[in-house]
Amino acid sequence: MPYRLKTWLLPLLAAMTLPSLAQAHAILEESTPPAGASVKPGPLDLHLRYNSRIDRSRSRLTLIRPDHTRDTVAIAPDGPPDVIDAHLQLPPGAYVVRWQVLAVDGHITRGDVPITVTAP
Amino acid sequence: MDLLVDLFGYLSIIVHGLTILSQSMALGGALFLAFLARPLAPRLRQSAIAAGTARIAGYAAIALLLSEAATVALQAAVLMDTVDLGLWDVLSAGFAIAGMVKIVAAASMAAVLLGMRERAPVLPLLALTLIELAAATLTTHAAARLDSRFWLLVVEGLHQLGAAIWIGGIPCFLLALSRVRDGAAFRLVGARFSRMSMIGVACILVSGITMSLLYIGSWQGFYGTAFGVMVGAKIVLFLMLLALGGMNFLLVERLRADPATSINRLRRFAEIEFGIGIAIFFAAASLTSVPPAVDLTQDRVSWHEIVERNTPQWPRLSSPDHDSLALPALQEKLDQEAAANKAKPQVAFIPGGGELPPRNADDIAWSEYNHHWAGLIVVAVGLLALLNRAGLRAARHWPLMFLGLAVFLFLRSDPEVWPLGDIGFFDSLRDVEVLQHRCFVLLIVVFAFFEWRVRATSWTNRKAALVFPLLCAAGGTMLLTHSHAIANVKDQLLIELTHTPLALAGIAAGWARWLEIRLNPRENPVVWQIAGWVWPACILFCGLLLLGYREA
Repeated sequence: MPYRLKTWLLPLLAAMTLPSLAQAHAILEESTPPAGASVKPGPLDLHLRYNSRIDRSRSRLTLIRPDHTRDTVAIAPDGPPDVIDAHLQLPPGAYVVRWQVLAVDGHITRGDVPITVTAP
Repeated sequence: MDLLVDLFGYLSIIVHGLTILSQSMALGGALFLAFLARPLAPRLRQSAIAAGTARIAGYAAIALLLSEAATVALQAAVLMDTVDLGLWDVLSAGFAIAGMVKIVAAASMAAVLLGMRERAPVLPLLALTLIELAAATLTTHAAARLDSRFWLLVVEGLHQLGAAIWIGGIPCFLLALSRVRDGAAFRLVGARFSRMSMIGVACILVSGITMSLLYIGSWQGFYGTAFGVMVGAKIVLFLMLLALGGMNFLLVERLRADPATSINRLRRFAEIEFGIGIAIFFAAASLTSVPPAVDLTQDRVSWHEIVERNTPQWPRLSSPDHDSLALPALQEKLDQEAAANKAKPQVAFIPGGGELPPRNADDIAWSEYNHHWAGLIVVAVGLLALLNRAGLRAARHWPLMFLGLAVFLFLRSDPEVWPLGDIGFFDSLRDVEVLQHRCFVLLIVVFAFFEWRVRATSWTNRKAALVFPLLCAAGGTMLLTHSHAIANVKDQLLIELTHTPLALAGIAAGWARWLEIRLNPRENPVVWQIAGWVWPACILFCGLLLLGYREA
């Protein structure tokens, strides 16, 4: 794809369909750990349950670190159709897990789960 | 580019509304051709109706193809850009396959209808209609449900089929009425379309009730969530359609006894049925962007909160100072901090940046003051329009008061933007709410100008008289998709609860005025009189709603 098309057109088109959070179609019904929770450092199993069937292979989890750097988090390939599982290893600090899911009806929704990892 | 996210998120609702409209017209036209225009052609002794129907359905299929292609392209672009997927990975997703099937089916329909016109083969057309419908249901809420998925897909399909038969078939029905000349032919076309409409209504009723039970689930879900409130708006519009359709049915029956009965009312009612149908389609498009009520178990509004918020209070007629609003206060604080640190001041709010602007008690007072003064102006407009209807000639200048309202709204509706605020005019248009307010101001100016010229000058242009009702109904339809950028979901819903009746009254006012202009008063004196009183009464009702508006 030409450079201009990729850097210009795709983000523009992307912007055109993402709904604002206040009007989300798929909603996060349950999060473990819950949004705003404080957890101990070390391995962390993240479990997100939605109100819709989710297309996991076309969804994305992004970890925003305390220094605002970002990493893509691998989504577990198996599980119930409405659930996204992931495994994290986090040192102390304030993190945000940003999720973007594709419901199987084609609606794309995104949201944040802030998590604080406390010092041991 | 991120600054355009909210703006284009809203525009995607508009594209979806256009998709529903074109799909209904294409499928409704194909069914009209198959079950009315073609079978009745020998008895009507003409093929022009079938040819015209094929043309309407064919062009609607092209519109469907374009809007669906835009939808798939946009969704694919999002996934390619945000999840780093290749084009093939995206196009193999279920929604993309369903979308491409819709595009191919729509293209085939357009080719058959526009290529062969009245000779278009019925069976392939019906097969394409079924394929289109099946693919369309796979991009509805039902496809992603965890429970009762199969039955929900069936009823979603039934719902869309009913809308296509009834509302989507109306343009072809109007075309047919314009092509026949005698009472027997009117009755033939009218009776067949009435029967088709009844099937459509039955499909909508059965599916609508089933979906309401499964997606809303309780009375509190009905009045306490955005989904429930929008379904309520659709029900009110549906009842309006039923009333009009019922009266048309009676008129068609009267044609049996008296073939000389005028069909002027039949045509005019069908016109406004289609207009109200478009409002329903846009309400449906805005429904797809919110989660079903049964899923929203928190942040619902209670009946007590609705009653408390809507209990009448004396209007707020004095405004808080602009500098006391949250955003100017925050900007001043940031400026002072920057000056102390000798740094460049931060901007307190970037329109369209995804963050919601801060609000304090004075912001609420500012907004209530705006609504209450707007309400006073609209009440005055309604009263003057009623007096004008009663024969007071001097009151005919009432549209000029709308120009005053437009200036008032332009100055005060968004205090953070030009001319009162620091944000420039064009920068402010990245904010969905500001953009919608500016569009409403433009609508008001245009329809006020046209209506004033029609009433107060010797302007005899008949089409100019239709600008006011069309824009009034369009404004009401737009208001159905209007959203307020407020972080608190409950407060947002309490505001929607007052704006939805406003939207419905705007739609009713527009189409009642349309009826008054288009009906022949000598042939339909009672309906003409009623329409003439209904629209100013609706405007008065809008004014009273605005006067009772509260945000806290």
